[in-house]
Amino acid sequence: MIKIRSLVKDFDGHCVLNGVNLDVAAGDIKVVMGASGCGKSTLLRCLNRLLDVTSGSIHFMGNDITHKDTDVRQLRQQIGFVFQQFALYRHLSVLDNVTLALRKLRGLSRADANEKASFELEKLAMIDHRHKYPAQISGGQKQRVAIARALAMDPSMIVFDEPTSALDPIMSREVAALIRTLNEERVTILCVTHDVALGKVLSDNVVFLDRGEVKAEASFDYLCHDHPDAEVRAFFGRGESR
Amino acid sequence: MMQGWHTFFMDLVEQMPLILHGVGNTILLGVTISVTGLIFGIVVFYLALSHNVIVRSCVKGYISFFTGMPLIVLLFLMYYGLPSWGVRLSPFVVSVIGFTMNIAAYNAAYLMSGYNSLDAAEIDAAKSQGFTPLQLFKWITLPQVLLLSVPALSNQVIRNIKDTSVAFLIQYTEFFARIQELAASNFQFFKAYFFAGVVYLLLVSLVVLMARWLERHIVIPGLHRTLDRQS
Ligand SMILES: Nc1ncnc2c1ncn2[C@@H]1O[C@H](COP(=O)(O)OP(=O)(O)OP(=O)(O)O)[C@@H](O)[C@H]1O
Ligand SMILES: [Mg+2]
Repeated sequence: MIKIRSLVKDFDGHCVLNGVNLDVAAGDIKVVMGASGCGKSTLLRCLNRLLDVTSGSIHFMGNDITHKDTDVRQLRQQIGFVFQQFALYRHLSVLDNVTLALRKLRGLSRADANEKASFELEKLAMIDHRHKYPAQISGGQKQRVAIARALAMDPSMIVFDEPTSALDPIMSREVAALIRTLNEERVTILCVTHDVALGKVLSDNVVFLDRGEVKAEASFDYLCHDHPDAEVRAFFGRGESR
Repeated sequence: MMQGWHTFFMDLVEQMPLILHGVGNTILLGVTISVTGLIFGIVVFYLALSHNVIVRSCVKGYISFFTGMPLIVLLFLMYYGLPSWGVRLSPFVVSVIGFTMNIAAYNAAYLMSGYNSLDAAEIDAAKSQGFTPLQLFKWITLPQVLLLSVPALSNQVIRNIKDTSVAFLIQYTEFFARIQELAASNFQFFKAYFFAGVVYLLLVSLVVLMARWLERHIVIPGLHRTLDRQS
């Protein structure tokens, strides 16, 4: 579904992504890990053109979306984005957070949008909170609303940027289990995180990003015990002690 | 002393139709410029968010020019200056144009400072969902910024009501102009202006009450305290 080749992104000469290659197959769940500042968010933002790449290509469902004539709005509607800070629209109720794009972008009537949104909120156990506002619900609940908002648009895939880093350990586990369930329902998922525990719940394999380059794509076991680079072993070793 | 007040009130009653007409004109001008000033202020604010550097610097220039220029100068320029170019506008039209330009500049500045306290992640989220810049402005940015700016915007309405008194200097026969006439006819200056002050106070109190009501009712549930702290 996604094929990234030699992706380079620099900000005024400061190179953040330095030739990244990455594949995500349909129905797959891909976890990208790396230390803070290694370029994970930048990678995701290139994917839906919040940022323009410096060079390289990104094929999404067969089309190179780095091209100038890409329909960016069409692209963005096909990729659900869930942010670290949830980024719910704080002036809208939970229900309206989910329905806004359905009504304004898909042109659904309010009744149809509410029905669709209620279905997703029900699935994520947030239906009872639909009339509350973002400031009135917990972090874990916000993250579930954010996921419902993404799912409601029937995206081809969902990308998660550090979905657990603003959550306490219990809520993190809840959200991790949820993402896994989504994938079992055949939703394609790309998740970047520095939370080793989350990575392990989601997948046996992980892509390790370091200073803008993919250093390894291997199993946790290998990265933690057998990888030749001590820094890599140390990074993944942190997850063991949890 | 009582005698003085008695004759003053007799004169007041006699001139009441004219004075009420003046109050009507004051309210008409105050309401008109508050509405046009808000709408035009929103337009200026929208242009201030443009990606185009030229548009942005024009907006900056507009705001600093009209917040820097005394309103009375602007009104005199249009009312007494333009006729020499063959452009003759009625006092009401000149007032509406002049006040709107001035108020819009202030309102745009308030909205821009509200914009700075928005959450950048929310804007990114809306872009990521596929909203166009205009949709994003309409459904996310503007509602939030307006909510954040209710106190500043309602203070501006209060200022507008008071500032309408300046319009009498370009022959707009609003309330204050009628009071001038009353005072000139019986030389009871103190009483006349005292009365004017009371009427303005009443008008302003009315606006304050409406603003308080608005602030109480148009509020994001659960976020009230955060907004208070920001404003
Ligand atoms: N718009 C920008 N302009 C300039 N530099 C930027 C910009 N965005 C990100 N960077 C730089 O790119 C680098 C990678 O940032 P990025 O946000 O992708 O890291 P990250 O891996 O997501 O980190 P974290 O785990 O803290 O979220 C950082 O050094 C950052 O300073
Ligand atoms: Mg990041």
